[in-house]
Amino acid sequence: MNSLLKEDRKGRTALLTKNLTPGKRVYNEDLILRDSVEYRTWDPFRSKLAAAILKGLPDDLVREGNKVLYLGVSTGTTASHVSDLVGSTGLVVGVEFAPRVAREFVEHVARQRKNVIPFVADARDPSKYSVTTMDVVYCDIAQPDQTEIALTNCQKLLKKGGTLLLVVKARSIDVLKDPKHVFAEERLKLEKAGFNVRSVIELSPFEKDHALIFATS
Amino acid sequence: MAEGAREGGIDFEALRQKSIAAAEAAIREASSRPDLHLVQAIQALDDTDKYLNITATRASEWYGLHFPELPQMLQDNVVLCKLISEVGAREAYTPENLAGRGFTDKKVEAIITARDRSKGGTISDGDIGRVKALASLAVQLSTLRGGLNDYVESQMKRISPNVSEVAGGTIGARLMAKAGGLDRLSSMPASTIQILGAEKALFRSLRTGARPPKHGILFQHQAVHTAPKWQRGKIARTLANKIAIAARVDYYRGSEDASIKAGLDKRLESIKERYKEPPARGPEPRFPRRRDERPPRRNNPRRR
Repeated sequence: MNSLLKEDRKGRTALLTKNLTPGKRVYNEDLILRDSVEYRTWDPFRSKLAAAILKGLPDDLVREGNKVLYLGVSTGTTASHVSDLVGSTGLVVGVEFAPRVAREFVEHVARQRKNVIPFVADARDPSKYSVTTMDVVYCDIAQPDQTEIALTNCQKLLKKGGTLLLVVKARSIDVLKDPKHVFAEERLKLEKAGFNVRSVIELSPFEKDHALIFATS
Repeated sequence: MAEGAREGGIDFEALRQKSIAAAEAAIREASSRPDLHLVQAIQALDDTDKYLNITATRASEWYGLHFPELPQMLQDNVVLCKLISEVGAREAYTPENLAGRGFTDKKVEAIITARDRSKGGTISDGDIGRVKALASLAVQLSTLRGGLNDYVESQMKRISPNVSEVAGGTIGARLMAKAGGLDRLSSMPASTIQILGAEKALFRSLRTGARPPKHGILFQHQAVHTAPKWQRGKIARTLANKIAIAARVDYYRGSEDASIKAGLDKRLESIKERYKEPPARGPEPRFPRRRDERPPRRNNPRRR
């Protein structure tokens, strides 16, 4: 049974992930039964990974059993779905710097889910959370040097041929530049660092001035 | 990983438990920082100000249908609300119950005269009851506001004595709230402190080439807003410089240093002296819009 389900709802695709903790909600999302298995709806307006999948990102990049390093988990909305996707044989290492949102992540996600390990740490210093080699690095942090931070983490923790999913926040990098310009620059940085950029997916209409870059090392 | 799962000799569940404990300890430590409590207090103060204004204005408007002369005679809405909640309907005003409230005899007389010739309509018991409840809420909010204000002032003196001395307690606390704590304020350049709170104007300026803001929160400082217009930019800049120094002294040394305030006063004096007269009107200064260079060419031409 696949842990990700796509359903057609009045011409729109809805995403569902198999709930790793049946009966429990993380952020008041809908719980839905399909063939007596419980799923949680995955809202693309609240989760950039869901938005990217709806806009054409291959949906098998985060698979059952994967080890995922998640930088910038915030309150853990997306992280909880990643935790569903990798299932009980997988692992999510969640890093968050701001104590206020990390509190909710630890309480509602890390404490409830056995495949999640939380770290309140600065993503500029991967030695604080270098648990093991990772299959996927997902990076969603609002810093001007977010791409450099992601690269540092990949060099240290991403396996050879692993996947980097980088959320580019054009407005965090440069408020004045045209977002398309910023996306192109960040893409170039990844290519210079030896990454193979597979796609750059703009997240409108779900998020403004955001793109997700999918690259492999 | 599943319970007790091991891989390459790592016990993930044990690591997870340890990490959760460490994360919670870090969160707990961060949540007990006194400057973050101060940030909440100043924000509560600003919120309370808003509620107070809304509530008192509504009470005054409503009561004005019944006794329009009274709101017109009293500038202070809180004083009015106190009267509404304690005296009530127009007919109830007497020289006796107006005594001891700090009104002059003339004022009391005027109120009594207005009572007898009021152009207001009648008010039902139900209506006056609601208005009185609203007015008494406004009075309570005003008490709450006073308490928060004193608290912010005294906490600022304790946590950040030099910023408090240079900028004043509430303004210092507002800057700290915008910055996100004393640690962040102390790591900010003075130019950023100068325009904290004027982000909208700053970005508008960068985007369109409009004139950049001279001051944000600092406009509230009396040295800035009482000064003539052409001095305000210079004063705000000096003030921001001294606040930046003060914040660093507070964060890293933590002791009072009277020389900062003395230096500020001296600079303010010399600005006032040197720029007494408004500058001659020259051509409008131009603030060029920052232009983007061309987007980089991709060395890898494959499309997504």
